[in-house]
Amino acid sequence: MILMLPVLAEASFNQFAVVGVLLLIAIVFGVGNLVISKLMGPSREGPIKGLVYESGMNPITPARRRFNVRFYVVAMTFLVFDVEIVFLYPWATTFPSLAQDSPLNVLFLGRMLFFVLTTVIAFLYAWRKGVFRYD
Amino acid sequence: MLSAQFFCSLLTALVALQLILLVVAYGTLLERKVASWTQDRIGPNRTGFSFGQDNIWKALHLNFLNTFHFWGLGQPLADGLKFIFKEEYTPPHVERPLFLLAPVLAVVPAMLGWAVMPWGGQFDFPGWTIGNFQFVSPGHVTFAAAPLGVGIIYILAVSSLAVYGVVVAGYASNNKYAFLGGLRATAQMLSYEIPLGLCILTVILMTGTVRAGDLVELQAQGVWNLLYQPLLAIIFFTCGLAECNRAPFDLAECEQELVGGFHTEYASMKFALFFMGEYMHMTTSAAFLTLLFLGGWSVSPLGLWPDLPAYTAGWAGAGLVLLKAAVFAVKVLLVIFTMMWVRWTLPRFRFDQLMKLAWRSLIPVTVLLMLATGLGVFFKLSPWVYTAINAGVFVLMLVVGPLIPTGPKVNRRVPLAGSRFSPLSTKA
Repeated sequence: MILMLPVLAEASFNQFAVVGVLLLIAIVFGVGNLVISKLMGPSREGPIKGLVYESGMNPITPARRRFNVRFYVVAMTFLVFDVEIVFLYPWATTFPSLAQDSPLNVLFLGRMLFFVLTTVIAFLYAWRKGVFRYD
Repeated sequence: MLSAQFFCSLLTALVALQLILLVVAYGTLLERKVASWTQDRIGPNRTGFSFGQDNIWKALHLNFLNTFHFWGLGQPLADGLKFIFKEEYTPPHVERPLFLLAPVLAVVPAMLGWAVMPWGGQFDFPGWTIGNFQFVSPGHVTFAAAPLGVGIIYILAVSSLAVYGVVVAGYASNNKYAFLGGLRATAQMLSYEIPLGLCILTVILMTGTVRAGDLVELQAQGVWNLLYQPLLAIIFFTCGLAECNRAPFDLAECEQELVGGFHTEYASMKFALFFMGEYMHMTTSAAFLTLLFLGGWSVSPLGLWPDLPAYTAGWAGAGLVLLKAAVFAVKVLLVIFTMMWVRWTLPRFRFDQLMKLAWRSLIPVTVLLMLATGLGVFFKLSPWVYTAINAGVFVLMLVVGPLIPTGPKVNRRVPLAGSRFSPLSTKA
């Protein structure tokens, strides 16, 4: 039975196996560094030492309070564009061969131009609305 | 019995990981040396390998080392030791689990991103037999840590995860500097990811492949992509700088406004992990630029003289694999040096300038380049047309740029006289 195992491992070899090994190494590296410096370093507590560092001012409110809505807008416009790019990757990978071989190549180009056009319209609308002013 | 590809992947991963950690350590020294060179100073040159305990050389009867300091090469090791022996302090006001998680989140994607880099091309591995037991089977291998089919999309996906370390650090610190720094860094990394993604998309569109090895081989057979898409390469480099939070885009940690930014409350090894993450991202981003535009291990930019063979075998082939990895590494180091050079030459952007650069100029320009490249592929034009398109878009930028309405000036003068802020005002 012991001789069977390597054969199975060979058959189910996956290219992501080394990525898994690297992930393990990275996590051990990250956590291990924290643990080592916790063990090696000194440990002294104090009421003043535990204060929030704000350049010597006494902190008056907790830091997690309302912030500028601009950052939400950035996140939303990012989503629009990033999803668009994700949809374009499969197209970009296959388009060079489709443009040469397929009789429907005009269709493949036209669909993608229409798709990009919708995003460009959204971009222009956002620009007109002053989303990209940041002042 | 291991498969040949798994064995070579593991070998590449372990060797490359050590080399990258070495580059990270000595990158800090190089950074300080470049800084001192730019600013007409000498820079760190005193720390040898005795770390101040010079009598150990006397004990080892190596007295000449008392005056020889190894050109400061001990500095990164001394810094690393110092980080380990500093107090690993977690302030009581933070969100403790997230605060401890953030440095790990920052360093893990940085250590994974370079896995698909095809350092050494393809090789015919002869197998490895110990006694009668065939330890590694023979086979055709690619010298990359993970020769994935998804290729460069993997790099993009993993390096996008870096933003979580920054967000979590900024949120968990419960510090206003850290919070603002985290917000800024997040907005910046999100914004620059779009032109970065569009640059990669354009290269995929031009070459029709996402496999990292194929990209290098195409450039080795023909012309480097840098010459077909020069403007795109410059935009990619810029976005790479912004993604690593490097100067001139290091607004997340600009000292004058935000102290340390998202790592204000971090000390000792937790801070060092953020720092190492930044340098590893630099390495990954430089390697990515080398892969996409500088031809990987290719040595003939124009294809005028024969390149290194993509597929090798035997002992000479093993030597060629090492040579190819060395060529790749030299290019990566040159790109890293350029990043440092830029850092110590250019002043930092203001936040609104940074966001405007991404949204109002880089994104329209890359969309334009992407569409032009798509049309070029459709009409089966010669790749040199892309060079002309790049030059045309550059001229268009220069012409159209000044015509774009800029809106009100940001640093407008406050009309002091007569306003309620004026010390001369008679009202209140």
